[in-house]
Amino acid sequence: MKIKNYFKSLPARIKGVPKKLSARLAGAKEILTQGNGKVCASMAVMGLGQLIYRQWVKGFMFLFIQLAFIAYFIFTGATDLFGFFTLGTRESNAWYGVEGDNSVVMLITGILAIFIIVFYAVVYVANVKDAYRLQCAEDTLKAPDGFKKEAAALLDKSFHKTALALPVIGVCVFSILPIVFMILIAFTNYGGDVVPPALVDWVGFKNFGKILSLGQFAPTFFKIFGWNMIWAVLATALNYFAGLGLALLLNKKCVKGKAIWRAFPILAYAIPGFITLLGFKFMFSYGGPINYYIQQGGGAAVGFLGLDAKWTARFIGLAVNAWISVPSTMLLATGILSNINTDLYEAARVDGASAWKQFVKITLPYVLFATTPVLISQFIGNFNNFGIFYFLRGGLYVDGYFLASDTDLLINWLYNMSIDNNYYSIGAAISLVIFIITSVISLAVYVLSPSYKQEETFR
Amino acid sequence: MRKAGAKVVKAKTKRALNVLITYCILIVVAFVFFFPCLWLILASFSKSGSIYSFDGFFPKEYGFDAFKSLFTDTVMYNYPRWFLNTLFIAVMSCVLGTLLTILTAYCMSRFRFRSRKAMMKATLVLGMFPSFMGTIAVYLIMTQFGLINQQWGLILIYSAQAPMGYMVQKGFFDTIPYSIDEAARIDGASNFTVFVKFILPLSKPMLVYTALTSFTWPWSDFILPKMLLIDKDLYTVAVGLMSLGETEFARFAAGSIFIAIPIIVLYFCLVKYMINGMSAGAVKE
Repeated sequence: MKIKNYFKSLPARIKGVPKKLSARLAGAKEILTQGNGKVCASMAVMGLGQLIYRQWVKGFMFLFIQLAFIAYFIFTGATDLFGFFTLGTRESNAWYGVEGDNSVVMLITGILAIFIIVFYAVVYVANVKDAYRLQCAEDTLKAPDGFKKEAAALLDKSFHKTALALPVIGVCVFSILPIVFMILIAFTNYGGDVVPPALVDWVGFKNFGKILSLGQFAPTFFKIFGWNMIWAVLATALNYFAGLGLALLLNKKCVKGKAIWRAFPILAYAIPGFITLLGFKFMFSYGGPINYYIQQGGGAAVGFLGLDAKWTARFIGLAVNAWISVPSTMLLATGILSNINTDLYEAARVDGASAWKQFVKITLPYVLFATTPVLISQFIGNFNNFGIFYFLRGGLYVDGYFLASDTDLLINWLYNMSIDNNYYSIGAAISLVIFIITSVISLAVYVLSPSYKQEETFR
Repeated sequence: MRKAGAKVVKAKTKRALNVLITYCILIVVAFVFFFPCLWLILASFSKSGSIYSFDGFFPKEYGFDAFKSLFTDTVMYNYPRWFLNTLFIAVMSCVLGTLLTILTAYCMSRFRFRSRKAMMKATLVLGMFPSFMGTIAVYLIMTQFGLINQQWGLILIYSAQAPMGYMVQKGFFDTIPYSIDEAARIDGASNFTVFVKFILPLSKPMLVYTALTSFTWPWSDFILPKMLLIDKDLYTVAVGLMSLGETEFARFAAGSIFIAIPIIVLYFCLVKYMINGMSAGAVKE
């Protein structure tokens, strides 16, 4: 039903887009036609209009930003931007002592230059708008806000601008820039023999074609993708229901000393993941304790995580993953269960509903409703669960797979290819594919989930 | 009369059986979760370090050798140094990361500005990217800034990336009633004052939760430090312990115990906040 409604409202929303756009354009048109000479002065030289209006501090700030930008653009910005498109033209030649262009660095600085230009454009528009606001204030004979008042607003009305400035810059440089870089790498031939000092070039969609058609990559991709989906579904379901079951068990009235029983899973939860994983690897290794007991019992040592241990390794991975993640689901479910209205159970008991029926009709729907967002993020987390098989079976390559083992998830394959074996561009293309799969799933569920739609209703 | 009595007895045995089964399951669960920990603790007290000199799960001889060598034999594996490095990085990233995350979440929850919905969707989508694919780019950026092989570089990355996970905190702020803000604003408080004087004290559980999660991440991360730290003296414990082989098993176990204990203590002290924090992000009723 909900999906239907979402798609029903889609045409209306798309129709709304031009309206919104035209409203914005009308605003720009108004400034262009109604703006007086001082506004034009601000358009030509940032801050000039403000200076004419005797808004000294703000005017000089705008002016300074423009001068700084021009200096940046002349000294490095222009070449950076140019380098983004060419990715370097001068090949290095050690023989003649020529230091060539480093294409990859040029790509990064090029993206950075684009970011800075966009930022400058935003400030420029703000500058023109501000000048126009001053003009309007003058026309209505109202004294414009002084600098002090505007600065005070940064802690009040526009507190969000102050507070969000640092996080946004940080996220742009350390999260968005790397992601943009990675996306762009997928469209180059970076990797293999083509690493700096060799020059990298744009190749369009060739890498995606290679993944789907080339004998080297395609079979491995589809095999790993299939196992990856199975793994994500199994692991998420196992963790979710085991955690919920554990929480329900500890919630039972007859259980005494709940805090003590709960302490054991929390202990497991608190241990850093890499220690757990390395510990379990030791436990199942050839010389490890499990094999010791097998040998004591007269059997031969089993390579649980060895080369041809496809399914045992997979099951060990599932179990170890559950060991690590069930406690957190248990804690989450405990918190949610304590919020359920107990009257519901009272009423159910009066009506003679069995314990199982109470679980299916009251507990499960409530918990599922409350944890949909968490469930999505757990699914994504399991889909991209890098640590498990990196630690348990890292660095193993199995026949029939290209640079991967039969337990590796796409993310592990990605790591093997790009970090260990220099297939950067193919790796980037695969991560784009992973991204498309996961984001389509989660965005759809998120948009349809009640917690997004009813954001305002709980106020 | 007798029939009713039999029914009561039957119900009683049924209940007793129920309790028995419950406790059996609980014991199994406790064993499953506790045994690997016990194994590591025992291993750290083994006299010979190698995993091959164990009787199954139990060391042949016990002693404090592993702990002694962990703190004294620092030529190859300088554990005390690694520990201090990890502590420094984790504490600094925790302080900065918590501050940025809380600020972001608060703004997203309380302010209605034009790019808000777009930013929310964008962070959600960006969170889907396999994070370490970007580490190649992060590595290159850090070389550009000259922050390779420096602890501040790591702190910068951890705290700058922290605001991406603001959703849980935003969910919490959404549950704090608006009337508090409104009452304070009628009294002439600015939004900054409202945030510092009213909202922050109310969100102590969330602050604790955020601080805890942004502490544990750098504390146990291994991908970034492995990539960005070159000098062995700058290693974090995670990278250092990974370089230990099977013959150094006791030392690995001893080192693990020391790195796990602070987190375990924190978790047990703050478990109430954890439960509140986790469910606050999920429950919207």
